Amino acid sequence: MTTETPSEALLQVRDLTVTFATPRGPLDAVRSLDLDLEPGGALGIVGESGSGKSMTSLAIMGLQPRAARRTGSVRLRGQELVGMSEAELRRVRGDRVAMVFQDPLSSLNPYYTVGLQIEEAYRAHRPGVTRREAHKVAIAALERVHIRDAAVRVNHYPHQFSGGMRQRVMIAMALSTEPELLIADEPTTALDVTVQAQILDLLQEIRHETGTGLVLITHDLAVVSEITDHIVVMKDGVCVERGAVEQIFTSPQHPYTQALLDAVPRIDDEIGELRAVAPSATPTNGGPA
Amino acid sequence: MSEPLLRATHLVKEFPVMGTGGLLRAPVRFRAVDDVSFEIRAGETLALVGESGSGKSTTARLAARLLDVTSGTVELDGEDVTALGRRELRRFRNEVQVVFQDPFSSLNPRHTVERIVTAPLVYQGRPVPGGARAFTRSLMERVGLDPDHSQKYPAQFSGGQAQRIGIARALAVSPRVVVCDEAVSALDVSVQAQVINLLRDLQREEGLTYLFIAHDLAVVRQIATRVAVMTQGQIVEEGERDAVFGAPQHEYTRKLLDAVPRIRPEWERQRRANAGRPAGAASGAQA
Repeated sequence: MTTETPSEALLQVRDLTVTFATPRGPLDAVRSLDLDLEPGGALGIVGESGSGKSMTSLAIMGLQPRAARRTGSVRLRGQELVGMSEAELRRVRGDRVAMVFQDPLSSLNPYYTVGLQIEEAYRAHRPGVTRREAHKVAIAALERVHIRDAAVRVNHYPHQFSGGMRQRVMIAMALSTEPELLIADEPTTALDVTVQAQILDLLQEIRHETGTGLVLITHDLAVVSEITDHIVVMKDGVCVERGAVEQIFTSPQHPYTQALLDAVPRIDDEIGELRAVAPSATPTNGGPA
Repeated sequence: MSEPLLRATHLVKEFPVMGTGGLLRAPVRFRAVDDVSFEIRAGETLALVGESGSGKSTTARLAARLLDVTSGTVELDGEDVTALGRRELRRFRNEVQVVFQDPFSSLNPRHTVERIVTAPLVYQGRPVPGGARAFTRSLMERVGLDPDHSQKYPAQFSGGQAQRIGIARALAVSPRVVVCDEAVSALDVSVQAQVINLLRDLQREEGLTYLFIAHDLAVVRQIATRVAVMTQGQIVEEGERDAVFGAPQHEYTRKLLDAVPRIRPEWERQRRANAGRPAGAASGAQA
């Protein structure tokens, strides 16, 4: 159960496949996906709707829907998560691996103060901790994500926070246990652009200060270009291209990646005809790219 | 300068705030749109940009007469349409149509494409030129849909195709103004590009006038002639697109532009060089 070698990958996913049984036969939402993340690294998973990127983030943590079958290997510092019991998995989730989702309002309980929710999440993973200690952790966590007057705000309810502030609360909660890996699924998609910029800055800062590894799932190519160092491009459940961020953005090899980059509207660019991605004209590879 | 086709003058919209005002107290009112004025000339696209709560969508609804103003006027072609009655509003709807953000929630799931796109004419008791079938086919062709699918239902189409149905429905009455309320915001980037191109083609070919509501500045850059930046119910800056993007005057506009995530320009140049072609119609394509 202990890690074998200290220098191994933070996250190593091999041949991850998520299959749904449908009336028309099995359907792979994710097929033969490989992912690698070094400690402290930031990996972007990019794709359009239906690409399987969100299912990937869930499947890493064993949170895929019950109807789905997950195969392959997911190793966290060498420790295999596939096949782990639910009880063991629960100790990994929220403790060593934390997740942040798109919609902070639906992830927070409206009936409890944000402080209580952070405290409960924390104490769930730190059994011996007293309420008073957990309260201090909650305040520190809110300060960590630059929420002003944290000692007061900790007693407020979710609706008393703006969308951006709620996402900060979620990030604070996720980071309270000092996880090794943060999985953020479209964390800024529901936010205004000025707030998005603040949250992206915050994620960057946290990475650099704590060395937490980041898997960022998004449809937004500009966002991944700013804060990740490696990218996986997904389409129809399959990785069509992977590489260092600069490599993907300067010399994309797969026609789909090229088309996607061409389709992004540029704010600084003179306009021509936007190059639309031809529908269903993009070949997908069977195996890992 | 020609007369503006659509003119909004000192628009104000207030909403009562829920739960305020007791039995004897006057209810508190929230001013969503606070003295907004703009003009759009025929064939132009005015983009109203802003963040959530800026009042841009409410402004669009006032201009399209989907909401009544608290005060101020909306004029179409010099005629005050602010106080039109029900019958006159029908005439107005022939001139001004709306395309909404979510095509699936704005299209009746139980109606075929044919029924959806001919509905605006049917509601008005107008004859469908050439018959419903032929009319639908020609509309579908205009927006890039396969005309053989006129008997299908919205759920049988992808998001981008469904938005084309929404556009086809707006075009059915041959309007002069189309209000696009976040019309491409919910679409995947590749599909979004197609729909933006479609809107631009339709404008070029048919001289349509757009009021384009969006929060995405990069999208606005691709389609706007003029840009008005809204925050807290007011327009803080308005001007030609390149002026607003190139030399923003208001602090809020600068903040908004700075916040947009960008792919590094040097990577963009490198990619264009590697691909051996100029990107889009860009001028500086050298590495």
